[in-house]
Amino acid sequence: MTIDHVRALAGAALMAALLAVPYVLPALGATFWVDIVAEILIWSLLAASVNLLLGYVGLLSFGQALYFGFGMYGVALSINNWNVGFWPALVIGIVAASAMALVAGVMAVRLTWHYFAIITVVFSLIFYFAAMSMKSLTGGDDGMSFSPPAVFSAGRYTLSLTDATVQYYAILGIVSACFALTALIVNSPLGLSFKAIRENDRRAALIGINVYRTRLIAFVIAGALAGTSGALFAFFGRYASATYMFYHLSGEAVVWAIVGGIGAVLGPLFGVAAFIVFRELVSHAWEHYLIAVGAITILVIMFAPRGLAGAWNDLLQLAMTRGHERPRSGEAFAVGEDG
Amino acid sequence: MGANATALSLSGVTKRFQGLVAVDGVTIDLASGKLNAIIGPNGAGKRRGVSRTLQIKSVFGGLSVIDNVRIAVLSHERIMAPFRPAGSIRAVTACADEIIDEVGLAAHRDAPAATLSYGDVALLEMALALAAQPKLLLLDEPVCGMGPEETEHTVGMIKEISQRIDVILIEHDMEVVFDIANFIMVMAQGAVLATGTAAEIARDPKVQEAYLGSPEDD
Repeated sequence: MTIDHVRALAGAALMAALLAVPYVLPALGATFWVDIVAEILIWSLLAASVNLLLGYVGLLSFGQALYFGFGMYGVALSINNWNVGFWPALVIGIVAASAMALVAGVMAVRLTWHYFAIITVVFSLIFYFAAMSMKSLTGGDDGMSFSPPAVFSAGRYTLSLTDATVQYYAILGIVSACFALTALIVNSPLGLSFKAIRENDRRAALIGINVYRTRLIAFVIAGALAGTSGALFAFFGRYASATYMFYHLSGEAVVWAIVGGIGAVLGPLFGVAAFIVFRELVSHAWEHYLIAVGAITILVIMFAPRGLAGAWNDLLQLAMTRGHERPRSGEAFAVGEDG
Repeated sequence: MGANATALSLSGVTKRFQGLVAVDGVTIDLASGKLNAIIGPNGAGKRRGVSRTLQIKSVFGGLSVIDNVRIAVLSHERIMAPFRPAGSIRAVTACADEIIDEVGLAAHRDAPAATLSYGDVALLEMALALAAQPKLLLLDEPVCGMGPEETEHTVGMIKEISQRIDVILIEHDMEVVFDIANFIMVMAQGAVLATGTAAEIARDPKVQEAYLGSPEDD
């Protein structure tokens, strides 16, 4: 059995566990946790958008909440104003987020590192304050609620989000599709050029890669991921609010992604799961549980710099190559420029 | 490529560093189909004369050797396969493997580039250059930092490559240059001092004075 086999098995087990959630958890008397898992799935897409940029293209964005917000309002506004169905509303949310990412990205991806981080924050702040003040359109602080349309209806047969199981499976389906798509992209020739730019952007440009365009493509894809997350969260909470566009949420997404494991497709899912499960278990008992969250984050960064997913990969490698060959550390940085 | 075609032609190249003239109105004409070499004492201006913008010595450290070359191959092939794993495109992998074999990195095919030795990084850089299917290959001290065995291997490889691609070699190592170059250009003090075959250069009194005759401390 090779490492790839173990990975495939673990992936299948994870998928089976997620599929079983709406039946197993209520049977264990934890119906409430079905919604928690759904929430984890939704947030993991926001963290995945950070991971795509930071882990694959080497761009640290502190503004992904903006596209999350556009996804939310795309859904809420299209349902309230045009009375569209579930799928069109979802698509409108994702398209709105992607379009916003394209506009911001045209300017932002000219820059890298802290300049890039700052411009992404600035963009999200501008739109946060705009959304907060345009109360008639967005509802500002209070947000706006809507009644979600049916996911699917044929004659008398309807699948509605009010059924917790339907809602869970709709979310699981869409989130799984997004992760599968991300996995395909990062392994494609396009994904390889993402990694080339992450490793050494000058060399990548010399070799013939259009660095600007490739970064812009990644930024728009990341915007679409964050937008999908926002759209799903709007359906999940049946409302949209400008408060979710604040950079506080962007920062949380960065922490989730880093703790989960940068540069691993499923890393964000692990990171979000760890934080939300911890919150659910501890926050009732201890008001200041965020202190522990901070401490855990620092420990993870110090002792597992590639996050939970990185630690899992190292363990797997260690277990599989016991005695035979020394495991190669996956950690590798570019050799210095102009060596 | 005709017998009299030119591999590289430069005229009136000048480079100044705040008053210090490193390269002074140099005119270079190197013929195609030969392994040309440019030599000279330190600070002669040989590198500035040719490779003014080609000073990026690095690879994609976190990626495997094969992926490094794959990227280089892919960036020249317009393959539209957004959802296909890059490793599954056979033509690209075959091309990349061929280049890796040619430069002699097959043993390190799947190792991250950052774990390669200094000499192997130089070979990988050559592989990246070859992946672009160049007409002209400018090599700036390719054997720098290599052991005797590695040097021998690399020299043999350069000789082979020069059969089909024009190569201009800039090198400190006299032995290497005199061994493989068909045509040698000697630079000193920012100007061309002499040109000719290895035998002609070795006999040239001007060269002996400026370079070979001077006491070597190392």
